[in-house]
Amino acid sequence: MKRNLITLITGAVLIVIFALLLFTFQVRQSEVAVVTTFGRITGPPCEPGLHLRWPWPVQQVYKFDGRIQNFQEKFRETLTADQISLITSIYVGWKISDPSAFLNSFKDGSVTAARSQLESLLASDNITVVGKHPLADFVNIDPKQLQFDQIQAEMEQMVQGELQTNNYGIQIEFLGIQQLGLPESVTQAVFDRMKSERNILISRAQNEGLAEAIKIKANADRQANETLANAQAEATRIEGEGVAEAAKTLPVFQENPELANFLLSIDAIKQALNQRSTLFFDDRVPPFDLFHGTLTNPPSDRP
Amino acid sequence: MSDEHDHHDPAPEPSATPMAPEDAGSQALAEALRSSFAIVKFVMVALVVIFLGSGFFQVGTQEKAIILRFGKTVGQGQAALLGPGLHWSFPYPIDEVVKIPITEIQKISSTIGWFAVTPAQELSGNLPPPGPSLVPGVDGYVITADRNIIHTRATLYYQVDDPIRYVFGFTSASNTIQNALNNALLDTAAQFKVDDVLYSDVAGFQEAVQQRVSDLADGERLGITVKQCNVDSMPPRQLKDVFDQVTAARQNQNKVLDDAHSYENQTTNSAGAQASTIINEARSARARYVQSVQADAKAFSALLPNYKINPGLFRQQELVQVMGQALTNVDFKTYLPTTANGKPIELRLLLNREPPGPKTAPANP
Repeated sequence: MKRNLITLITGAVLIVIFALLLFTFQVRQSEVAVVTTFGRITGPPCEPGLHLRWPWPVQQVYKFDGRIQNFQEKFRETLTADQISLITSIYVGWKISDPSAFLNSFKDGSVTAARSQLESLLASDNITVVGKHPLADFVNIDPKQLQFDQIQAEMEQMVQGELQTNNYGIQIEFLGIQQLGLPESVTQAVFDRMKSERNILISRAQNEGLAEAIKIKANADRQANETLANAQAEATRIEGEGVAEAAKTLPVFQENPELANFLLSIDAIKQALNQRSTLFFDDRVPPFDLFHGTLTNPPSDRP
Repeated sequence: MSDEHDHHDPAPEPSATPMAPEDAGSQALAEALRSSFAIVKFVMVALVVIFLGSGFFQVGTQEKAIILRFGKTVGQGQAALLGPGLHWSFPYPIDEVVKIPITEIQKISSTIGWFAVTPAQELSGNLPPPGPSLVPGVDGYVITADRNIIHTRATLYYQVDDPIRYVFGFTSASNTIQNALNNALLDTAAQFKVDDVLYSDVAGFQEAVQQRVSDLADGERLGITVKQCNVDSMPPRQLKDVFDQVTAARQNQNKVLDDAHSYENQTTNSAGAQASTIINEARSARARYVQSVQADAKAFSALLPNYKINPGLFRQQELVQVMGQALTNVDFKTYLPTTANGKPIELRLLLNREPPGPKTAPANP
């Protein structure tokens, strides 16, 4: 009965495969699953791997994407604490943390329903949190006063808290603001302000440059004059030194001051007459005293 | 084996059918059934071979693979990653192979912060004209710390570090990274002044954005490493002219300052040179003076003995010698003798030679 054995084995394999399909299910690494028995949730959420089940209609398996999903809000106009209109858009990473609670909260575990629930939560929390902060908390030159991260944390806490209170089985992994804008009409006003700021910068650049340049030049001139004055003073000092040194030779002249004076006078005359000069003497001055009385026919005598 | 044997033996076997078929038709039918059974068996064996053979798969150099057995990863952490080469897994539905690009650097761009333009428009340089204002949701921008509006965009290059987290942790990890990049741009811009972002601290801004994305990626456990982040910023196109003017004015300011500095250098240097000239001149003047005085003293000492012999004659000699010298230098000489009555002749002179003024001055000898 070899043939029957083969047939039996084949049949058994087929039955096993069929039974496996009916009585087991796989949960993928990225999924979370929950089993209901006659519509009621039984047992804890299933880990990834192979699991046993009773076939339909006894048990039913609900699988959900267990990964972090992105959700980003549309633009929303909100008012800051100082009544400035801001346009914000928030993104969150959320995931189904408790598939049982999720299945209880949303019909058939509809992710679309969950998303819209999340959206409305975000919308209200966005408005609430932004309304608590002035614009200076969103943008600020001083990093200590900037509260960007705190604002995000506040929103996250708020949303997280509401999700937990309502036991949606959803958890926020992270939340952030991804767009911060101003209403269209305001952008124009901002442009005008920016323009006037730029104009101030232009004139400041021009004037500051000139003022600074003048300062630098004046300083340079002052420095140059100081250098020259110092040099002059030094020169005078050096000349004084020279005089002092020369004075050491005075005792030599004191031997006969009369001759010294005479020699000085002679030198002075030599120097004075060195250039083109005109001198007038009368005939008492030597050597012209030789002429005295020698000539009696006055004018018309020209050399 | 017995089946196979049957197949090769066309004769009716006594064991299977003890009764000899009288009907040739039913015998033919049995034969046809037998042969078709054989074909089905062959196909089944082939299917099993193909089924098992389909478990082979290849992993490229730029990727890693993870095997999911009944949906659960085989191995943990790095051990779960299969490197390049040929691998085998059980075919579906037992195993599932997930391939992840890993060594290749991936790129993502920010979606906020830039005005509405398509890549094609940007390539052609044919940008749509800017409107008077920015429409939310259409034109992106960020607000700087000093409340200016500017356009900025970032391109992030990253590498997948933890493929299991990257693939099984997020429905779309790249979208999450993009959100983080947008958030980083926004947050960083809110701390920088407009002039820092655009001109004076471009690198600092870029670095801060990259740091922020890295921090967010770590905080959200994205399983990536940020390799590089390029940030590109510009003032709103509506204000391009006035921003350009500021740049020009600043450049001009620098030029003016440069000029002033070069003037400064020149002036102080020339003053320094002049000063050393003055001092050198003074030094040489001192030397000259001292020498001449010393020479005079020497001459004096030499003359003194002569003088002492007859001071009057000595004086006379010297004087006459000097007069002689002086008179050789004089251009023309006029001798005016005393008049008979002993009074000197009166002489009037018109002086207009060297002195600049045309004044005339009478001079009396």
